[in-house]
Amino acid sequence: MLLEGRKISKRFGGVQALSEVDFHVEEGSITGLIGPNGAGKTTLFSIVAGALKPTSGRTFFEGREITGLPADQICRRGIARTFQIVRPFASMSCLENVLVAAVNRHPERPRAALEAAARDLLGQVGLADFADQEARHLNVIQKKRLELARALATEPRLLLLDEVLGGLNTQEIQEAVEDIRALRDRRGITILWIEHVMGAIMQAADRVIVLDQGRVLTAAPPREVVSDPRVIQAYLGE
Amino acid sequence: MTTSVKWIWPAVLVGMCLLPLGVGIYPQHVLIVSLFYVMMAASWNLLAGYTGQVSFGHAAMAGIGAYTSGILAAKAGLNPWIGIAAGTLFAALLGLGLGALCLKMGGIYLSLTTLAFSQILHIIIVNEYEVTRGTMGLQVPGLIPEYSKLAYYYILLAATVLVLFILYRMIHSNLGLNFRAVQNDETAARAVGVRVLHLRVLAFTAASAMAGFAGGLYGHYLLLVTPEIPSLDLQFYVLAMTVIGGMGSFVGPILGAFAINILAEKIRDYGEYHVLVFGLVALATARFAPEGLIGVWRSLRRRPAR
Amino acid sequence: MLAISVMNGLVIGVIYALAALGVSLVVGIMNVINFAHGELYILAGYFSFLFASTLGMPFAPAMGLAVALVFLFGLLIERLLIRPTYGNDMYSLILTFILSIVLQNAFLLIFGPYPNKPPLWVRGASEIFGLFSYGNQRLAALVSGAALIALVFLVLQKTWFGRIIRATSQDRAMAEWNGVNTTRLNMLSFGLGCALAAAAGVILSPVFPVTPTAGVPIALTAFVVVVLGGMGSMWGCVVGGLLLGLVENLGAAFISSGYKNVFGFLILILVLLVRPSGLFGRAKL
Ligand SMILES: Nc1ncnc2c1ncn2[C@@H]1O[C@H](COP(=O)(O)OP(=O)(O)OP(=O)(O)O)[C@@H](O)[C@H]1O
Ligand SMILES: [Mg+2]
Repeated sequence: MLLEGRKISKRFGGVQALSEVDFHVEEGSITGLIGPNGAGKTTLFSIVAGALKPTSGRTFFEGREITGLPADQICRRGIARTFQIVRPFASMSCLENVLVAAVNRHPERPRAALEAAARDLLGQVGLADFADQEARHLNVIQKKRLELARALATEPRLLLLDEVLGGLNTQEIQEAVEDIRALRDRRGITILWIEHVMGAIMQAADRVIVLDQGRVLTAAPPREVVSDPRVIQAYLGE
Repeated sequence: MTTSVKWIWPAVLVGMCLLPLGVGIYPQHVLIVSLFYVMMAASWNLLAGYTGQVSFGHAAMAGIGAYTSGILAAKAGLNPWIGIAAGTLFAALLGLGLGALCLKMGGIYLSLTTLAFSQILHIIIVNEYEVTRGTMGLQVPGLIPEYSKLAYYYILLAATVLVLFILYRMIHSNLGLNFRAVQNDETAARAVGVRVLHLRVLAFTAASAMAGFAGGLYGHYLLLVTPEIPSLDLQFYVLAMTVIGGMGSFVGPILGAFAINILAEKIRDYGEYHVLVFGLVALATARFAPEGLIGVWRSLRRRPAR
Repeated sequence: MLAISVMNGLVIGVIYALAALGVSLVVGIMNVINFAHGELYILAGYFSFLFASTLGMPFAPAMGLAVALVFLFGLLIERLLIRPTYGNDMYSLILTFILSIVLQNAFLLIFGPYPNKPPLWVRGASEIFGLFSYGNQRLAALVSGAALIALVFLVLQKTWFGRIIRATSQDRAMAEWNGVNTTRLNMLSFGLGCALAAAAGVILSPVFPVTPTAGVPIALTAFVVVVLGGMGSMWGCVVGGLLLGLVENLGAAFISSGYKNVFGFLILILVLLVRPSGLFGRAKL
């Protein structure tokens, strides 16, 4: 078990976004996290990544507790994320966006080496030609790719992806699914993936966690999840 | 870096070395004071412009430098240069303490705490007049045996170059990359491993040290250290220069400090209106052109007028 | 001696509480600190001096007019300086700090550096419990300050407007969903915050005359009170204000008068070290 959450609850004023969520992610897996809008998926990501503190409950990574650690420490432990609503460093070039992540992972390495690696990563997400452009000039899809490159530059063991397929056509979705699989197969990165494009999740995930109204509805292989009447009910009930 | 840019800094430096030659005592004085303000504004910019910490205690840190060095020299007969080093160190330590104290709290707390700090310092200086000579001011020895404006000018110029060089190196290193990331998006910066709190404390300590250094030199130039140095008026000046010049840019505060200090001297001929005038200009700048004159110039260059 | 210090502490404490309530109202609703709060306090003092002493108006309408004008000025500040930078804490800090210096210098040019004092409302002194005699003007300031605080609480607790204010400072997003026009509310609460500073100014200026920079320690103390009491907590303001007034005056009487204003800051730093959310506060900001 690479990541584990125990009885995680989160309240925002009057809204109970998560109630006593228990979940885990197996090492080397691609785990899907699905659920209707407002189910609490992004909130769960933020808690795991240290951007939010849970109201109660604990999180463990590689068997060590990480509850309440600051986000930068959690990143150094090996968890990286992308944001549902993209957050690139807008006034910095794409190269610099990736460099920020790289220099904090390897402060000791010379800048030239880090820069070469960062350019390489940008190439892998298809942004080689944009390396020296300010990130603000990218379109949303490119910004999502930039965030992916930035997250990869932190050399994570666990990657949290929050709705990376939005706005892509069928063909592009297929390519993206292949790319994400390759991250796991070639680099050995474990992936926890929030996605509304159900087909992609069903195709790529080994296991799917379903959240509804802040609770875990079920966690099972994709085949079982799609035929689970509670899951169908949760989505139809929207 | 293009060739034209490469030549700018050496050219400016040569120009600055030639500037005080052949002008009178008074213009030389104005130039020396300007250099003090350049150091202050550039280092305050490290706080407010690069790390989003609006400190109102920067002038107080200059006061710490000036009084530490001044008291050591006047009362204990210590060499002023050693005194300046001590003042720089003391300001750095206080900066470290204040920065750490404000760490957990948001920006408003930092501003409040630094304002309180500057007020406390002011009260202490006025009350401990046996040591500080209160509002009368403390007479301190000079840095050089024979008083010469020109010599002081070159000393302060060297100090300014040193401070700016350190700042430039900071901004153009990994540290600066991290500063910019935090400035763009703090949450995203943390998420990619930027130690935001470390950065803030580091910037606070470094900027305080620079203010202490500048203050120490300034005191030994004026030969009289008064509560005017750690005052809110001086703090305001530094803030206005940075805001008008362009917060968050390297060159903005430097130009702002020079331009405003020299202009202030001109306006002073007509009476004590300069603070009010700069206040209004700074207000308009912060409101309508938050990136300052540098920002205006940049956007004009980016989109040439049609 | 002790009794007089306590009385002085209460008088100034009530004023601190009033000024702090103004700061707290604005922080609670807008998460903005107005660094020119003290200058608005002083402005009201100058206005009431101008209307009552120079133009010869009776003191009560002069004071009312002064507060009303500062209220309007507050609305103007909100509209011109705060609203456009709303949500960017840094610029509202910088703008109001610059504004405070601008006002100080404007006062200096217009009124000069010398203290100005509106006329007393009442003369003479009273024996308190037959123990010591105390200036009537100070008593009047104490009573009117306390009455005003009571009025503020009444408005906040009992009226529809007060409910909106409380709801918005609890949860802004929720209030917006429920149809609160937060833009107008911001403007109004900023104006009211300024008016509370002005009220403190007109009440206290006959006792402590106004000078261009006399607002700085008052505002700073009000900020300290707000942080002490917990940002946005109204009761915290009253308790904190009185506490600080007492500590200052007792400290001045028994420890050192020169360090009067330092005690509050030291308390602030201590509190921030052990309880960053203040004595009464929930963590915010
Ligand atoms: N910062 C916040 N403050 C207040 N409420 C919040 C905050 N963040 C999320 N919420 C609320 O918590 C609930 C869960 O939100 P969350 O964003 O985690 O859902 P989600 O599953 O990611 O939804 P979506 O599929 O739309 O992205 C929602 O009701 C949302 O309004
Ligand atoms: Mg979401």
